[in-house]
Amino acid sequence: MIDLGTLALRLGLATAIYALVAAVLGGGRRRADLVASSRHAAYVVHGLVAVASLVLWRALLARDFSLEYVASYSSSTLSLPYTIAAFWGGQSGSLLFWALILTTMSSVVHLQNRERNAALMPYVTATLMALAIFFLAMLVFVTDPFTRLPVPAREGADLNPLLQNYWMMIHPPSLYLGFVGCSVPFAFAIAALASGRLGDVWIRTTRRWTLFAWAFLTLGNILGGRWAYEELGWGGYWAWDPVENAAIMPWFTCTAFLHSVMIQEKKNMLKMWNMVLILLTFCLTIFGTFLTRSGVVSSVHSFTQSGLGPFFVGFLLAVIVVSIALIVLRRPLLRSENDIDSFLSREGAFLFNNLLLVGLAFATFWGTVFPVISEAVRGVKITVGPPFFNKVNAPLGLALLLMTGIGPVIAWRRASARNLRRSFTWPLALGFATGVAIFAAGWRHYYAVVCFSLAAFVLATIFMEFYRGTRARQSLMGEAPGAALANLIGRNRRRYGGYVIHLGVVMMAVGIAASSSFRVEKQETLAAGEAIEVGPYTLTHRGVRSTDSPHVAALVADVDVTRGGRAVTTLHPEKRFYKRQQQPTTEVALRSTLRDDLYVVLGNYDAQSGLVTFLVFVSPLVAWLWIGGLVMGVGTIIVMSPTAAEQRALAAAMAVEERGLEPALR
Amino acid sequence: MSRPTQTEIEEALTCQCGCGLTVHSCNHLQCPSAIPLKQEIGEQLALDKTHAEVLAHFAGKYGEKVLSAPTTTGFNVVAWVTPFAAPLVAAIVIVVLVRRWRRRGGAGAPEPAAPAGDAADAARRARLRAELERFEG
Repeated sequence: MIDLGTLALRLGLATAIYALVAAVLGGGRRRADLVASSRHAAYVVHGLVAVASLVLWRALLARDFSLEYVASYSSSTLSLPYTIAAFWGGQSGSLLFWALILTTMSSVVHLQNRERNAALMPYVTATLMALAIFFLAMLVFVTDPFTRLPVPAREGADLNPLLQNYWMMIHPPSLYLGFVGCSVPFAFAIAALASGRLGDVWIRTTRRWTLFAWAFLTLGNILGGRWAYEELGWGGYWAWDPVENAAIMPWFTCTAFLHSVMIQEKKNMLKMWNMVLILLTFCLTIFGTFLTRSGVVSSVHSFTQSGLGPFFVGFLLAVIVVSIALIVLRRPLLRSENDIDSFLSREGAFLFNNLLLVGLAFATFWGTVFPVISEAVRGVKITVGPPFFNKVNAPLGLALLLMTGIGPVIAWRRASARNLRRSFTWPLALGFATGVAIFAAGWRHYYAVVCFSLAAFVLATIFMEFYRGTRARQSLMGEAPGAALANLIGRNRRRYGGYVIHLGVVMMAVGIAASSSFRVEKQETLAAGEAIEVGPYTLTHRGVRSTDSPHVAALVADVDVTRGGRAVTTLHPEKRFYKRQQQPTTEVALRSTLRDDLYVVLGNYDAQSGLVTFLVFVSPLVAWLWIGGLVMGVGTIIVMSPTAAEQRALAAAMAVEERGLEPALR
Repeated sequence: MSRPTQTEIEEALTCQCGCGLTVHSCNHLQCPSAIPLKQEIGEQLALDKTHAEVLAHFAGKYGEKVLSAPTTTGFNVVAWVTPFAAPLVAAIVIVVLVRRWRRRGGAGAPEPAAPAGDAADAARRARLRAELERFEG
């Protein structure tokens, strides 16, 4: 059975090479038979990678400890969900998982486009297969998931305990879907450059794919934050760790791309910029994977470090060289057909939004690699930690929040004084009043006050857009308020779905500002029956008890919580000991409300004295961070849902581009 | 000058246990690095030193890598300036390029004059109706 996995990977690699060659020849020589053959070969590659994946999953579920991978990342006592997740818990498994997602997406793309985009598809196939070749070559020649141990192990080493958390079941797949999802717009961008068809078609065709990748990048980052919040036990959710940075950088550039493509669709501008952004986004996903694998910068995410770094650097350089060469070659076709009339316009606002998003990506990149630069220049190791990123990215983030309120409302071409007054008088007044009120209430944290003021400003602009749109429908169509609102959103999903996403962003910004500025924490050692006060809560330690299973032993503390003299809950923070890996972990006890989170960590336990050290955090409004993420998800679903107008626009763009196409390729 | 607090110094130092967090945030309550560092911070503060003096003590003893952010002297200034300088330079380049394009292409066509009277209202309402039906983004 294991040999079947090895065979499937090798055949997959050979077939992907064939698909690449056939696609390039078919596209170049306009041979429809070769193009069709490359498409069929891409389906076969997907099938073979799926077979290899099933073989690895079966080996994990069968606890086949003769396989090095299974013995390294699972054990006989590991629960079923984590055994399934062990597939991506280690090096070669995660690369196989990447290849599985990539080839699955490749098949979906080929199915979607089998009757359309004839000029682009050979190069799309070639690009996707080139990516598949890289990952399959890694799996066949460098890090084979089907390597057998000389002597089968009697027991597995188990999955890293930090990965045995339910958020870890969905955080890596989400991030992988986001990372690999970027391959599709990247492949279409390369295809547009290679074929010289640089109109709107590639952008309109991949719009939903880009949104899909962006949505999963968003989800992956939020889930990663949630995992860190619950599992790492330091009361925070984002530490600007190099691997966290690697995940957020493509999100920044992908977000910039999603905004700037609107300018291309509306005004035929920024063609070159959009091309650069999507190529950069893809490069950042590969750079992120390189950071995770190489260990070139120290990271808390060192679960799967290996010597794969040089291969990823080589691959990244190849991607960059090909991308730059194609852009230089097609430069004349990437010129804008229109100019900006005024910076005081939606185009201008989107430009500055792009500048800030790319600026955030750059600042994050710069901070991540600066220790390496410093060591190369000065020979001195330095650390660039959370204080640097907070100081550098906070002002840029606040400026971006401001643009979130301005961009969607300001007029196209050139904003008149009337437009500015009509759109911004009330929101500015509300934002200003909020700032004054917060300041008067005695809150003196500068960033938080500015963030809350900007949040109020953006909320007001969003509310006014919904209000005015609904009123307009009521007056013009005679609709009832509810129907008018539903139709307003339903008929303008991109616009109003975007507002819903912005609403989620505001919620997240408020949650981040409040929880990072006004967090209260206390560390105290208590005997049973003793109590501490943290913020508005009183916590009484009632004692500890032990639990045991073949997989994990735990020490559980029972902590009664009161607020204002009223009992609210009993929390059970744990200290666990995973027997196979001989590793202790903390399991945080959490009481989350819309107002604040009470977060209790069981630190040290002295068995002789019975004293327990607790670390307690009270973080205001932190729940809004996660709620904001959900709202962003709802907005994304609205934005992604198809509309007839969008289909018409795509068909029109295709008609223009397909007119000159030879029948042989249809 | 106000004296630094224990938390401020803990946030300015990186834990050396490999957690990647500051000494204050280190998630290992029995951490072999954070606990002695916290104690040493307390000892330094008891000497009535300034923020800079305490950090200089730790950088001298453990190397610059113990600081959680680059210093603002020498080559490290590049770390702080570049993230702001790069977008600023990019903004200037954008403004210059856009102005050049506009000079090359001539000013944009003037906005059409707003129609007046009832006919204008009707036209505007019709356009608004059409926009409501079709408008995207």
